[in-house]
Amino acid sequence: MIEKHNILSPDFERDAPREMTLLSIISQSFFQPFSLEDNLLVILTALTSGSGVGFNRAMLFLKQGDRLRGEMWLGPRSPEEAGFIWEVLSTPGIGYIEIIEHNRALVSKNEDTLSRRLKGLVFDSCEETALIPAYAACRKEILLVKDARNEPLADRRFLDVIGVDEFLCIPLLAREEPLGVIVLDNAITRTPITPADIKLAGLCGLIAGNYIYSATLHRKLLEMEKMAAMGEMAMFVTHQLRNPIVAIGGFTDQLLQPDVPQEKKTRNLAIIRDEIRRLEDIIYQMGHFLKVSMKEPAYFDPGPALAAVFDSPEVRTKSQGITMNIKLEACLPEVLCDPTSFGEVVRNLLDNAFDATPGGGMVSVRGYRKNSGRFVLSVRDTGRGISNPDKDQLFRPFFTTKEKGMGLGLPFIKRVMDTCGGKIEVQSRAGKGALFKLIFLSRERETTS
Amino acid sequence: MNKKILLVEDERALCLLYEEELSREGYDVTAVMDAEAALAALAKTAFDLIITDIRMPGKNGIELITQIMGLRKDIPIIINSAYQSYKEDFMTWAADAYVVKSASLDELKAKIKQLIGD
Repeated sequence: MIEKHNILSPDFERDAPREMTLLSIISQSFFQPFSLEDNLLVILTALTSGSGVGFNRAMLFLKQGDRLRGEMWLGPRSPEEAGFIWEVLSTPGIGYIEIIEHNRALVSKNEDTLSRRLKGLVFDSCEETALIPAYAACRKEILLVKDARNEPLADRRFLDVIGVDEFLCIPLLAREEPLGVIVLDNAITRTPITPADIKLAGLCGLIAGNYIYSATLHRKLLEMEKMAAMGEMAMFVTHQLRNPIVAIGGFTDQLLQPDVPQEKKTRNLAIIRDEIRRLEDIIYQMGHFLKVSMKEPAYFDPGPALAAVFDSPEVRTKSQGITMNIKLEACLPEVLCDPTSFGEVVRNLLDNAFDATPGGGMVSVRGYRKNSGRFVLSVRDTGRGISNPDKDQLFRPFFTTKEKGMGLGLPFIKRVMDTCGGKIEVQSRAGKGALFKLIFLSRERETTS
Repeated sequence: MNKKILLVEDERALCLLYEEELSREGYDVTAVMDAEAALAALAKTAFDLIITDIRMPGKNGIELITQIMGLRKDIPIIINSAYQSYKEDFMTWAADAYVVKSASLDELKAKIKQLIGD
């Protein structure tokens, strides 16, 4: 017998100990595909939520070089606003996503006041001269500051902005390096900060520090992958450009020799013209491939775009001698993709299928819903199939098994699918044809009554 | 008797150019477009020199060289590639010369002359 449980429960359990609730809130942030900024907001939420640590306000500073810069400030601006917010957040059944949504709105509302004032703050975090709050990062210690007005180590500009006498500074550390500071206070309720609050907030700081560290590493890794792809691209371009250049140079040299027969002149000029067109095509395709990531995905009805591809003269010409079998579910859902790239993605996939399929073969297209919120578009051919070693390389730019082709079709598709949170899957064996599945995030169309 | 050169190059225009230019230098050139055709030609004719590209559909130039080394160690080989970087692959060191493709064929012609004379 098997009992199944959700990895993360989307709602808080009201009677759970606050340590558990806190861990639950923060761990959800690692699970959800949110941006770095949203995930930092989750951590501030955990610190200020009544079911988490329960501070009134939390502000975040991040280190940039040897400076500490104010990033975001979460919390109510006045007791009236606090009353309203806490009432909303204590509504029975309110879940994690709602709280994050609510706080996101609160932070952007605060752009006018709290966060804007915070973003103007930059502190020197040099070990000898740093003042509170940068002092906490330099010392790598949690600081509980009381009677702040009379504390010589506290920065005056900072005290003017925060406007309270008691607050807690939590350094964000990873691999023993300070990455930032979180400052917490109870500006509205004026309740004193307890040792238990400090312990819990310290735990949050450790998790936040390691989260920022891994998110930064992930960004760097993506950057490096991009650089590696660029390097590969540069190498490929060398080859692609050099061949036409050799031909153009060689046949031009021949033209410059004395007494070239007219027939040879015409032939050489035709070759030179063709090679120049090829250069132009290479440049066009490279530019096209590099442009992909700039478009924003959106939900749209894929029906018209699919019909346009299936009816295009290019597809009709290429499918001659091949049976095309198209079956799409009635009333397609809206899919999440960049609408202008969508048609090209499908056309590229069909192109590959036609190129792989010999005359008399078949290319089948299917469009169907899978689970909830997913739409699958599959293209199956009866062509030569893909061998296992080739399968590993399919999505590498410039890998191709075609005689004429730059190897940018499938990498282009993968980039589009990655950008819109979708997936591409391949099933194939040499000699047995291939099945490509595009899996899009989708949503049902709103019916107008 | 003219010296015989086997040219392995998958670009049609380059095959034509090299064929014409090397014939003008007094060589008999047989041009093929992939490694399989090259091995078939080698089985039939006693060539004096092989010029091969590296990146080709099917078997690449390095695999071809490895196979030729097993068959006929005595034929000089010139690698003619658009890539500099294959020089780092030690298998290309087995070739007698490595000429990067260029709009001028002077270097290639000079290497051929150096290896097998006119």
